Amino acid sequence: MQLDFKQRELTIKLVYYGPALSGKTTNLQAIHELVAPESRGRLMTLETKDDRTLFFDLLPLTVMAGKGLQIRVKLFTVPGQVIHNATRRLVLQGADGVAFIADSQKSETNANKAAFLNLRQNLTDNGLDPAKMPLVIQFNKRDMPEVRSDAEIDEMARKGREPVYKAIALRGQGVIETLVGLFELTWKRLEQEHQLGQKFGVDEGQLLGDVRGKLGVKRVAREATR
Amino acid sequence: MSSHDAELGLGDALSLGEVARLEEVVDRRALTEVCRSFFELFSIPVRVFSSEGALLADAHEEQEICRYVNTLGNGRRACSKLVSEVKRLDPDGRAMNHPCFTGAEYRIVPIVYQGRRLGRFVVGPYMPAERREVPRSLLVLDARLDAEAARAALQEMPRVRAETLERIGEHLARVLDLILFSGHRAFLTSNMHLASVKESFREIVEKNTQLQQAVDRLRELDRLKSNFLATVSHELRTPLTSIIGYSDMLGAGIGGELTEEQAEFVETIHAKGEHLLALITSLLDMNKLEQGTMRLHRELLPVKALLDDLQKTLAPSAAKKGVRLVVERAPDAGSVLVDPVRIKQVLFNLAENALKFTPRDGTVRFTGRVTESAADDDGFGAVLLSVPKRAIEIGVIDSGIGIAPEEHDKIFDAFYQVDGSSTREHGGTGLGLSIAKRIVEAHGGTLRVESEVGRGAAFFLTLPDPEEG
Repeated sequence: MQLDFKQRELTIKLVYYGPALSGKTTNLQAIHELVAPESRGRLMTLETKDDRTLFFDLLPLTVMAGKGLQIRVKLFTVPGQVIHNATRRLVLQGADGVAFIADSQKSETNANKAAFLNLRQNLTDNGLDPAKMPLVIQFNKRDMPEVRSDAEIDEMARKGREPVYKAIALRGQGVIETLVGLFELTWKRLEQEHQLGQKFGVDEGQLLGDVRGKLGVKRVAREATR
Repeated sequence: MSSHDAELGLGDALSLGEVARLEEVVDRRALTEVCRSFFELFSIPVRVFSSEGALLADAHEEQEICRYVNTLGNGRRACSKLVSEVKRLDPDGRAMNHPCFTGAEYRIVPIVYQGRRLGRFVVGPYMPAERREVPRSLLVLDARLDAEAARAALQEMPRVRAETLERIGEHLARVLDLILFSGHRAFLTSNMHLASVKESFREIVEKNTQLQQAVDRLRELDRLKSNFLATVSHELRTPLTSIIGYSDMLGAGIGGELTEEQAEFVETIHAKGEHLLALITSLLDMNKLEQGTMRLHRELLPVKALLDDLQKTLAPSAAKKGVRLVVERAPDAGSVLVDPVRIKQVLFNLAENALKFTPRDGTVRFTGRVTESAADDDGFGAVLLSVPKRAIEIGVIDSGIGIAPEEHDKIFDAFYQVDGSSTREHGGTGLGLSIAKRIVEAHGGTLRVESEVGRGAAFFLTLPDPEEG
C-alpha cells in the first residue's frame, strides 16, 4: 500500500496467484472488459512467450471514495510456471491482498496445492505474514469436464477461513465477485491498521457499494440472472 | 509508506509498477518530434511540461502578433506575465482554456496516466475561429500600438474552432498516453529482467554455498571412512596372522598328530584365513591408493620378462583348467619403469580373471608392443598439440564370456560385480579391477577394456615409455 496524504491518494496492490494455466491472466482480461472504461486503465502484459505470462500482467483501476480520496487499485498476475519463482517472489513484494486462482479440474489438485505452498513460502520470504494476508480463493474453469463438484468445494470451503468463489473467467463469470471480495477483505485489513476511514472521511459501507457499482457488479448480476 | 513518489527506489517502483515521473518513461527527443509533427500539421504550438513544471518538449514558431507586441514596452511585460501564468496553470482533472490579451487562447490539458497526473501539455496560442474583432485589451495595451498593424498581425494567427481544438487536444492526449504506456512497459520489463536476474543469481549463490557445505561434509566423511578402514584393517590383520600361523602349525602336526578329519578342518581354517588376509590387504591397498599414500618402488623392467614371468606363474592353473596360454610379443616390446610387485599384482589379477572366465579349450593371450598415439581428429594446431607419444601396451586377452559395453566403466568401480550370479560362480571381492586401475594410474598409465558379450574380453595396460622422458 502507498498513501499520499498531499494528493489524497491510496494505492493498493492486489496479486493474482496460482498454478500455471489456471486463468490468472484471463481473470484480468475479463475484469478489463467488465469494468466501466473510466475506472480502468490499459491492461499491460509484460513479455509473453507462447501466450504465457513471463513477468506479470498489470491492470490499474481507479475509484473515488469519500471526501475526495482517490483509490488506485493495481491488479498483478504472477507467472505460474515453476521455473519463474524468482519473478513470482518479486511481484508478490508489497502485496496488500492475494486472489488465489485454482483450477477446478481434479487432475490439477496437486498443482493447486504446490502453488499454494509456494505462495505461502514466498510470502514468508518477502517478510509478509501469510496468516494476516487478505486472501480469497477462486475455483476457476467450472465449465470443464472432470471438475471437483460444487458440493465438494463447499465442504472444503467450510474447513478453511478464506472466502471461496467459483468462476468461469473465460465467460467473465465470478471474476468481479472475486475482485470485490478481495477488495473488501483488503480494505478491512488496511482500515484496521491505518484507520483510513477516519482520516479521509470514508464510510466503509458506502465505499464498498461504490466499488461494486464502479466495477460493474450490477451488470454481471443482471447477466447471471438472464 | 511514502509521502512522495520521487522518493521511491527501484524496488518500490517495481513493487507497484508505478511511473513516478514523466521523464522516466518518455524520451525527450522523441516527444519533441511528436510535438513538431503536430505543429507542422496544425501550425499551433505545443509544449509539454512535467508535473514539476519542467519544459520537456517544445514545438513553436513565434507568431507575428507576439513579435509585434514584444516591440512595445508594455506589450513585452504583459506577454511575459501571461506566459508565466500559463506555465503555472496545472488543471486538476479536466482540460482548461486560458485567454491572452491579444484575443488568442491557450488550452492546457493534464497528462493523466494510471489515475495519476504526471504533467500537462499546452496548445497555443491560437485564435478562436469565431473571434473577428481586435479585442480592447490589446488596443489599450500601449500608447504606441498601431491598430492596423495589430489587426494585420492577428490575421496571420492560426484560426481554429473550439470543438476542433478540443478534439485535437484529445487526440494528442491519446498519443501521449500511448507513448507513456509503451515507455512504461519497456521500463518495467527491463527493470523486471534486471531484478529477476539478480534474484536468480542470489538464489544460485545460496544453493552453491549449500552444495559447497555438502561437499565439504562428504569429504570429511570420506576421510573419516578411510581412517576407519585403515584402523580396522590393521586391527583385523594382527589377530588374523595368529590364526593363520597357528592353524599352519597345527596342520604341520607341531601340536601333535591330527586325525584326517581334524587335518581337513584345520586346512579349511588356514585357507579361509588366507583368503580373509588377501581381502584385508586389498582393502588397505585400495585405501592407500584412494588417499594417494601408496609408495612405488620403480625399476626398469623389460616387457619380455614380465610376460614370461606371468606365463610361468599361470601355467599350472591354466593346464589344470585346460586353457591355452599364448604370449604374442613384438620383437622389441621395450621396457617399463614400474614397481615390479605392484605391476605384477595387476597383471596377475587380470590374467587370473581371464582364466576364470575362459571355458575349457579356450585361449588366454598375453601381448606386448610399443604404440604411438594418433594425431588429433580436427587437426587444430596439430603441429603443436599432437606430437606422437610412444607408450608400452600390454594386453591380457581371453576368449571367455565377455562384458557388455554398458558395464565397461562400472567394472573398475570398487566392489562392483557384473552380476550376482557370476560372483557366486566365479568368486572374488570386486576390488581387483578397481585396485588394478588405480595402480596403473599411479604409474601414469591407463587401463582399458575392449569386449563384447560372448566374444571374450581384452584388457590393455598402457604405460609411458621410459625412453621418452
